[in-house]
Amino acid sequence: MAAKFMPPPIAPFVTTRDVFLAAMTKQRSEFRPSETKPHSLVRRGGNQVAPAEAAALSRRQFLEAAGFTISLAAFGGCGRAPVDHAFPAPAMPAGTIPGQLRSYASTCTGCSAACGLLVGTRDGRPLKMEGLPEHPLSQGGLCAVGQALPIGLYDRQRFAEPLQNGKPAEWTTIDHEIVQGLDRIKSQQKAVRVVTSTVTSPTLRARIAAFVKQFPDGRHVVFDPNSSSAILDAHQQTHGARVLPHYHFDRATTVVSFGADFLGTWISPVEFTAGWSSRRAPQANKPEMSHHVQFESRMSLTGSNADRRYAIHPSQQGPLVGRLAEIVATLAGKPLPEKPVANMDGKFDQQLAELAERLWHERGRGLVVCDSQEVGVQRYVNYINHLLGNYGTTLDLERPSRQRQGNDRDIESLVEELSAGQIGALFVADVDLLHALANRPGLADAVDRVPLSISFAPRGDEFTTHAKYVCPDHHPLESWSDAEPISGLMSLGQPTLQPLGNTRAMMESLATWMGQPTTTLAALQAYWKDSVFPRRPSSASASFADFWDVALRSGFVEVTPEPVKINEFNATSLKPLMPTTAADGFTIVLYNKIGMPDARHAHNPWLQELPDPVTKVTWGNYVCVSPADADRLQINDGDVIAVSVGKDAPQLELPALVQVGQHEGTLAIARGYGVKGTDRFAKVGPQWIGANPTVVDGELVGVNAAVFQEFRSGMLRYERSGATVAKTGKHRALAATQKYNSLELPSNVAPHGAEHRDVIQRTTLAAFAKDPHAGAAEHHATDTQLWPEDHPKTGHAWGMVIDLNKCTGCSACVIACQAENNIPVVGYDEVRRQREMHWLRIDRYYDQVSENVDVAHQPMMCQHCDNAPCETVCPALATVHSSEGLNEQVYNRCVGTRYCANNCPYKVRRFNWFAYPHPDLRQNLVLNPEVTVRSRGVMEKCSMCVQRIEAGRIAARTQGVPMADGMVQTACQQSCPADAILFGDMNDPRSAISAALKNPRRYRVLEELNVRPSVSYLRVVRNRDEEARRG
Amino acid sequence: MQQRVLTIALIIGLGFSIALLASAMSAWRLPDNQQGYAPQQPIAYSHRLHAGELQINCVFCHSAAESSRYAGIPSSDVCMKCHRLVTAPYNVMQQELQLADKEKRPPKTIVSAELKKLYDSLALDDKLQPIPGRTPQSIAWVRVHNLPDYACFSHQAHVAAGVTCQYCHGPVESMERMQQFSTLAMGWCVNCHRDATRNGVNGRQVHAATDCSVCHH
Repeated sequence: MAAKFMPPPIAPFVTTRDVFLAAMTKQRSEFRPSETKPHSLVRRGGNQVAPAEAAALSRRQFLEAAGFTISLAAFGGCGRAPVDHAFPAPAMPAGTIPGQLRSYASTCTGCSAACGLLVGTRDGRPLKMEGLPEHPLSQGGLCAVGQALPIGLYDRQRFAEPLQNGKPAEWTTIDHEIVQGLDRIKSQQKAVRVVTSTVTSPTLRARIAAFVKQFPDGRHVVFDPNSSSAILDAHQQTHGARVLPHYHFDRATTVVSFGADFLGTWISPVEFTAGWSSRRAPQANKPEMSHHVQFESRMSLTGSNADRRYAIHPSQQGPLVGRLAEIVATLAGKPLPEKPVANMDGKFDQQLAELAERLWHERGRGLVVCDSQEVGVQRYVNYINHLLGNYGTTLDLERPSRQRQGNDRDIESLVEELSAGQIGALFVADVDLLHALANRPGLADAVDRVPLSISFAPRGDEFTTHAKYVCPDHHPLESWSDAEPISGLMSLGQPTLQPLGNTRAMMESLATWMGQPTTTLAALQAYWKDSVFPRRPSSASASFADFWDVALRSGFVEVTPEPVKINEFNATSLKPLMPTTAADGFTIVLYNKIGMPDARHAHNPWLQELPDPVTKVTWGNYVCVSPADADRLQINDGDVIAVSVGKDAPQLELPALVQVGQHEGTLAIARGYGVKGTDRFAKVGPQWIGANPTVVDGELVGVNAAVFQEFRSGMLRYERSGATVAKTGKHRALAATQKYNSLELPSNVAPHGAEHRDVIQRTTLAAFAKDPHAGAAEHHATDTQLWPEDHPKTGHAWGMVIDLNKCTGCSACVIACQAENNIPVVGYDEVRRQREMHWLRIDRYYDQVSENVDVAHQPMMCQHCDNAPCETVCPALATVHSSEGLNEQVYNRCVGTRYCANNCPYKVRRFNWFAYPHPDLRQNLVLNPEVTVRSRGVMEKCSMCVQRIEAGRIAARTQGVPMADGMVQTACQQSCPADAILFGDMNDPRSAISAALKNPRRYRVLEELNVRPSVSYLRVVRNRDEEARRG
Repeated sequence: MQQRVLTIALIIGLGFSIALLASAMSAWRLPDNQQGYAPQQPIAYSHRLHAGELQINCVFCHSAAESSRYAGIPSSDVCMKCHRLVTAPYNVMQQELQLADKEKRPPKTIVSAELKKLYDSLALDDKLQPIPGRTPQSIAWVRVHNLPDYACFSHQAHVAAGVTCQYCHGPVESMERMQQFSTLAMGWCVNCHRDATRNGVNGRQVHAATDCSVCHH
């Protein structure tokens, strides 16, 4: 609310909220129990204060003190508010309007998928990341990681200046020494290696190539911690080009995935989700949708959305792909000369035969993907897609993807070279080499022996402690960039504020050391002029300046792709797979969580507190154990178990989580945790007398599971067999946001006939084709009204429809809501106490009816009931109904009785048990000035982004036009990669939501309570032939 | 007799007390009512001179009022649109011109004490040349109209609806030093919204909602 206008963007400035929060922090620290806390406050066994000690104050003294305080407060209230200043900028940049939202098209750098981004800025501060609606890949969606970018920008733990041997230094000194060191290495003919994760920026790639070319033995090594190297290598062998196909899930009617979590973390999840979900909306007059089959060993987000999901042991993956190839080859009339697998147990033969039949029937419209890091398996995957004619339709090699370029063989040889001491200079960017290669324990010493080691990391990590120089890169929102995620699709990223620290872009650092100092913008323009502009479409302007301006304004431009030479399919490359024998013990499966696609995001508190869509656990990693193994070993959720491989291999201690749907004999552990510096979160959240730290002393958030990786035949493998498990007797409760998992109520609790709850309604495609209303719950329609119908909504009636068949549970909306609505981070202990503050949660339910468990995801937020139970019980009238159907929460009226939360059947209200100030005041810059920061003792909940509705209304009235449908988008709707959320005016007969309300799949949760929610859901339809009992 | 004198004295005393108390009471405000607040500003800027005498339109300086929630306090470079030439009050500059004419010399630049503060903030010297080694600094204006953080007021919405500036801000064109004219209390807002919906604004039909979330979100 503070109308403070920015001084120059770098200068720190203070808003009323900062002052307010500073005061709160001060106050809180004063009251924080110190070491010499009064004896009466010591907690004894539970939360009770010993009565004898509590009576330190007599009744009389208490009344005296109370009377004095009240009279003081009464006098104090009559005074003036504190003097508040406003600081207009000395010179306002042209075109800026104080307080107005300005959006800039840019490119996301959260992972290598390079989605389109709209950076929303106010008063020069980037605040809200949104998807770029016109972008051909992400189509307006943006994942949780992209949404969470801005909080990292205002992080004071980012390096503010370059370091030399761990001490701050001047750029000039460092540059001078590095140039000298490079000259020495050049004359000694030693090796120079630049290690990065996938560089989607063609300009930076060209710059690195030019940089390493200066040296007799210079190479650019691409290391993806989440690598798809085997797919690239397989295409090298089968198609003669080391490329990653561009997968088109939007064109696939049958999707078969062997372990690939393409809706979660695999290659380009936002784009794949958009494509996949576009085929998941069956219409009553056209009951068609894609068929999705998943074979996997752990329960992934993708698997939880599949029509058929089969739990397999990791050792079965290769044989199953081989068997499918064999059957498809027979169908194609080109039987394989050699059986891909010698010993097949034939367990899934029938399913594979049916699947092959379906794929063959839908030739050119199927898609088979696999996350295997075994080149032999990927060759068979390619063969299946080749035989089915999927290349050219659902897989594009002409315009290949550049989103994964990593080459694991290069990494393996780099590790050998490092160990042998052959490297003269080592440059590392985007990846913490020592954390990601924790499976090579001696690597840190080897790095110490490198004469010149340079890190570009923005924060301290394991590599920076061993690097001679740290040349911190800008935050992506401070820097120019470009990207080419798909050959021919060029996008630009633009800075939205001045660098907050004395950092420098990697491009500029390399250019300086090459003796050709340049700015990133100049380098980009030069590259685009030489290499992109000549490939422009014929419709583009003939002037480069215009071409650049158009690309910058729209964020991307499509140009002619660079030609790729693709050979005929080389069937001779197919070789039978090595016979796999299931080793003794457990097989560890390493994966990435949705909120933590790689370790770079470990410092992001929003992502750390994002519940995993499947396990619902926040803060840290854990071992997922199958229910059968858990039963056998007597393991419960939260029991700390020790996992080890071999005798002298490292041992990790993690809490266990029993995960349904996981194959017996496997242990799934998330990578990207145990990152150096994450002990910073020890004191995140309120520090009160009963608080438990988020991070235990001397530990980090989670542990680094990369120790279990191994190089096998040139590939970094993310599964490891022969693991053993031991119970430690310790327990660490998991901070899960959902503890009830099943849609079934135990029969001793449920009333007769209500064992199955209709919170999620499901059906199958076969049943849907017969009756579009199939799966509807049978309720006695309760339509009686306690109140007279004297509040007709004649204007707008805001409502929302969520298509559960499209929703994958990816949780992008959760972070979008957090960023838009100033939702605090509460820390491990508060989440454990069910006090997380997310206004929008995603409920996940298991249906244990079938052997292969069905999973459903359901975004749940305030339902804005017409007969809202919360409103009738509020004694302060702090929650009331608006004339447009919104359930309003008025913070300044709320006195915190919490009656409303108790009376809410959806349990969507959140209570501020504490004030949650940012420990670092600079992080207050991320707060959205359009939304009040709630104080302690106040209830809050989803407002349907009423600030956006008001902004839309004002914009429409200023133009003198009615509010158009689609003019207002809620934050969750805007970011949804699956386009599953629809918001609009239910009174407008032409609005999209009015049409959606007539959808036969539409239902409302807990409709039988007659609370008349404004949020509707569309029923889940699984593409199955049988007409299931309920779904 | 003595008792009568005492009674009269007491009555007179009581009368004085009531009179004093009443005058004191009338100056009391409810907590947070800042009506009449007129703090001293770092530069003695006169709205009477600029908006009244010189008739400069409000949105010439507060240009964001038409397009943003905030009306905006103008940045120093907006002042410089005129004060690049006008460096002192008109009569002072006129006197110097006449004097220079009489003494047959080029007129000196006279910079008034208040405008010197403006130039200072922009790191300009008396000849309006940049002072080397200094960067422009913001002027620390004291906010007069200050709503609590939980109330969101949009200038744009009200300007678009045809509400004049003076309706809330009072006769600014006659204020030497800016002061808060209205109470800015919630009752005052709501009454106006009701009135506007009933009677329109300047003859135009409007719908000024009184839903809580219109202002509180």
